[in-house]
Amino acid sequence: MAIDCEDQELLDGFLAETTELLEKLDDDLISLEKSPEDADLMNRIFRSIHTVKGASSFLGFDMLVKVTHKTEDVLNRLRKLELTLTSEIMDVILEAVDLVKTLVADIKGGDIIERDLEGTIAKLIPFLSENAVEATVLAPVFAPKEEKAAPADTQAPAAEPEPAAEAQAEPAAAQEPKAEAKAEPAPSQQVAPAPQPKPQPVKEPQKAPAKGGGEDLADNSTVRVDVKRLDDLMNQVGELVLERNRMIQLHSDYQTGLNPAEFGDDFGKLSKRLNFVTSELQMQVLKMRMLPVEKVFKKFPRIVRNLARDLGKEVDLVIYGEETELDRSVVDEIGDPLIHLIRNALDHGLETPEQRLAAGKDRTGTVVLSAAHEGNQIVISIKDNGRGIDPDKIAKKALDKGLVTDEQVAAMGTREILDLIFLPGFSTKEQTTDLSGRGVGMDVVRTNIRKLNGIIEIKNEVGHGSEFILKLPLTLAIIQSLLVEVEKEVYSIPLASVIETMRVSKKEFHMIGGQEVLKLRDSVLPLLRLQQTFGCHEVYTDRDTCYVVIVGVAEKRIGLIVTRLLGQQEVAIKSLGKFLSNLPGIGGSTIMGDGRVALIVDPIGLVGGAA
Amino acid sequence: METALTKVKSEEFGGELIQLVSFNLEKEEYGINVLMVREIIRMLNITRVPNTPHYVEGVINLRGKVIPIINLRKKFDLMDTEYDKRTRIMVMEVVGELMGFIVDEVSEVIRISEKEIQPPPPVVSSGIEQECMAGVINQAERLLVLLDLEKMFTADERRLFSNVA
Repeated sequence: MAIDCEDQELLDGFLAETTELLEKLDDDLISLEKSPEDADLMNRIFRSIHTVKGASSFLGFDMLVKVTHKTEDVLNRLRKLELTLTSEIMDVILEAVDLVKTLVADIKGGDIIERDLEGTIAKLIPFLSENAVEATVLAPVFAPKEEKAAPADTQAPAAEPEPAAEAQAEPAAAQEPKAEAKAEPAPSQQVAPAPQPKPQPVKEPQKAPAKGGGEDLADNSTVRVDVKRLDDLMNQVGELVLERNRMIQLHSDYQTGLNPAEFGDDFGKLSKRLNFVTSELQMQVLKMRMLPVEKVFKKFPRIVRNLARDLGKEVDLVIYGEETELDRSVVDEIGDPLIHLIRNALDHGLETPEQRLAAGKDRTGTVVLSAAHEGNQIVISIKDNGRGIDPDKIAKKALDKGLVTDEQVAAMGTREILDLIFLPGFSTKEQTTDLSGRGVGMDVVRTNIRKLNGIIEIKNEVGHGSEFILKLPLTLAIIQSLLVEVEKEVYSIPLASVIETMRVSKKEFHMIGGQEVLKLRDSVLPLLRLQQTFGCHEVYTDRDTCYVVIVGVAEKRIGLIVTRLLGQQEVAIKSLGKFLSNLPGIGGSTIMGDGRVALIVDPIGLVGGAA
Repeated sequence: METALTKVKSEEFGGELIQLVSFNLEKEEYGINVLMVREIIRMLNITRVPNTPHYVEGVINLRGKVIPIINLRKKFDLMDTEYDKRTRIMVMEVVGELMGFIVDEVSEVIRISEKEIQPPPPVVSSGIEQECMAGVINQAERLLVLLDLEKMFTADERRLFSNVA
């Protein structure tokens, strides 16, 4: 017997709500540590935990109840000012919250795993000095639970798809009663606390296997959309229908003898309107797919706090622009790179308080994490005011590790040298720690940013800090693109990767080691003739100027030689199908205004091929 | 064979009937199961796709879908000719993907009884690979080669496509 519908709905609601509360909780707790006297904040935290506790006890998740209950007790004492908040207490509370997240993730995975609660609870207990008080609080909560849990286990297999977990649970049941959401809570009970897990429009049918950590709480299979946005969308669709009717009308008018001049006039107006409505519609749909970057940012205060303590550094994390919205697909991918960049900023960038004082800086280092929209891009920057990156050190390390040769280094500008840090296996650390040193982090950054067609820029000032700037496209389905012509063939280059274009005389090209290059300000830019790469028939042989489109992929830059630039257009990406999906340098195709297909250049493939 | 010949019951003959679309390539007549064919269109603008096997002519826009186009003449190593007004693209579904095939001319839909299909002769003179021939149909005046396009894109071919990368 599967969980019946009503219960599934309750469970879904519970999961959605708990997930949301827990996400906020982390953030609130870190803020609380900074301003312990903030009573509002304290109360909010207390309420969150209390709600989680209430909901889980109603649904019979006893392990959750146990942990949240103890956490709540500690928080209650803090609230009544019986305890003062120290970082030790905060550590334990955070640990408890993590445990709660893990438990919730287990429930979401549809498989309750016996976890060690005692370790965490034992750490909480010392903060509850009056054991008597605790006991009396405990009694009424747990007594009825025990009775219920015993018969519950017979029904549990229905709710828990894994019989293995169930078998494990049997012996544990006496001491650690556990149950899934099921029809077990008596109907009368169900009515009474019903408003507590408030009905959510979102369903979370996800039955993916539970992951170990509580990291993966965010659910991606469903979208919560503001009703207002939905209404707006409906309005736009209404407009679109009107425009369509207008179009049909116009056509029939034309057939029954509307004069061409008038028709042309009306048609012009109509296409303007249509243009307006479709772009609005496009924006609306795009917006629905958008999530605030806060979703990713909010786990950083926690990470920074822990890291700073582990490293013995004092760090202020400042976050700007967390309300900036970006596409879900992008949000999913930037989490990891940002963690690595922040880790690097703390580990490599910032100095210890003593070093900072010696260098005449504040004891406390600052890491600024910011996000903002810039045209059709989102720009995320991680900036620290630490020691900066020393290019000489980087070059030397890369040489030592055999990642580059002497000649290569000699030919590099500062930019190129800094880019060496992205090489897999590169690390300035002598010793591999659990934090860094394997030379993987920056490679992860590069890989993920590449996947998103993004660009990485490094701003660096030795002694004063460094800044990593990630420029990402807003969405991956419809892109702004630069149309270029290569020997009479039209190609489209994603504008997100285009850094600049320039008209160059062919005389300005140089050859270095069999590679055509262009000297551009302080750097040497490798060039790629698209005509050769794509094997186009050479039509213009007598031209001595051409255009160079400089594209960036993650940290790399390359100049593409094209015949001429045709302009900028917003294009929808169409797949080439699986037979043609693996072409180097071609990322897809799009259909242009005249119905012809234009291929979309994939800068990643090109840069990979040229390197 | 089974994939190429979906059986059609007919009351008239009481036997297994199949319908074939017949088309011409270099004066030879070929047949393909009608159920594979989505539509037959006239030539239109083909966008060349770089770095593909020579017989991939490019891609077209089929009402908003981008589909690859294969030149069957090139595929079978026949002499390449200019397109004329009889040239057609046969859009077919091959292993779940829409693809277009350029042929010289599409002539008709014929019904044949399954019994008329003979196994392909051991030696084939033209460049058609043995494995994509599903059989030969010998009717009074005509000789039809029955093609199995799914087999044309078997392991060998797919390897080729993915090797391009």
